[in-house]
Amino acid sequence: MAKYLAQIVVMGVQVVGRAFARALQQEYAASQAAARARGRPGQQSAAVSSITGMSVQEAQQILNVSTLSPEEIQKSYEHLFKANEKSVGGSFYLQSKVVRAKERLDEELNIQKQEQNQQSQQNPET
Amino acid sequence: NMATTGAAAMDETMRYAEYSPKTNVRNDAEIDRRLVSVRVVVGELFSRYAFQLWKPLGQAFSETVKKMPSAGFSSYYKGGFEQKMSRREAGLILGVSPAATKTKVREAHRRIMVLNHPDKGGSPYLAAKINEAKDLMEKETRR
Repeated sequence: MAKYLAQIVVMGVQVVGRAFARALQQEYAASQAAARARGRPGQQSAAVSSITGMSVQEAQQILNVSTLSPEEIQKSYEHLFKANEKSVGGSFYLQSKVVRAKERLDEELNIQKQEQNQQSQQNPET
Repeated sequence: NMATTGAAAMDETMRYAEYSPKTNVRNDAEIDRRLVSVRVVVGELFSRYAFQLWKPLGQAFSETVKKMPSAGFSSYYKGGFEQKMSRREAGLILGVSPAATKTKVREAHRRIMVLNHPDKGGSPYLAAKINEAKDLMEKETRR
């Protein structure tokens, strides 16, 4: 008798736990989307900016791109990277900034893709 | 069944509490063990679900770290520009020593600016940084 009660309790805890986890995940995704809607970086993006020491805004300024379009970013990166080659008398320091800017924007696009995947995974459940 | 024997054991313990303090300690230890096991289960549940939430953050961290150049002849400078440009940074931007002469600074500025001119597809932000670097170097240079 006790064994069955224990089993029911355990199942109950699992169900509640799973629902709780799902709710937390939805809240996290919703907060990321809300932050982005207000033009502020989400938690993940802010963390990456802090770790790499390069914000999305600065990266966009360095590469002179107004939107996060992969083609624009690539084109600008290639031009600026070549322009600042040491072999033509360019500044390695500036070239480094160009590289870091490209890396930062690539990472940002990655984060956005991840969030989109998460959201599309949750929508069918609601 | 286990519940009733447990209750009976508790009764007996209460009756002989004065005469056998060791029994009391044993029961406390049992309660502690049960509390620990509950805490362990809760901790496991929490860590399992917390990990699912923090996994994207952890992934972003490890991917970013991986992308930093590990080997190779030259490693790119990390991070963005300094919040307030230092003389050292100005020198790095222009590719000259912080103790360079005015002539050297002017020469370097012209060269770097030609390569990064906005009219030729350069970035206005970088051009502004290059100009700022020149101004900073010239401000403090005597020669």
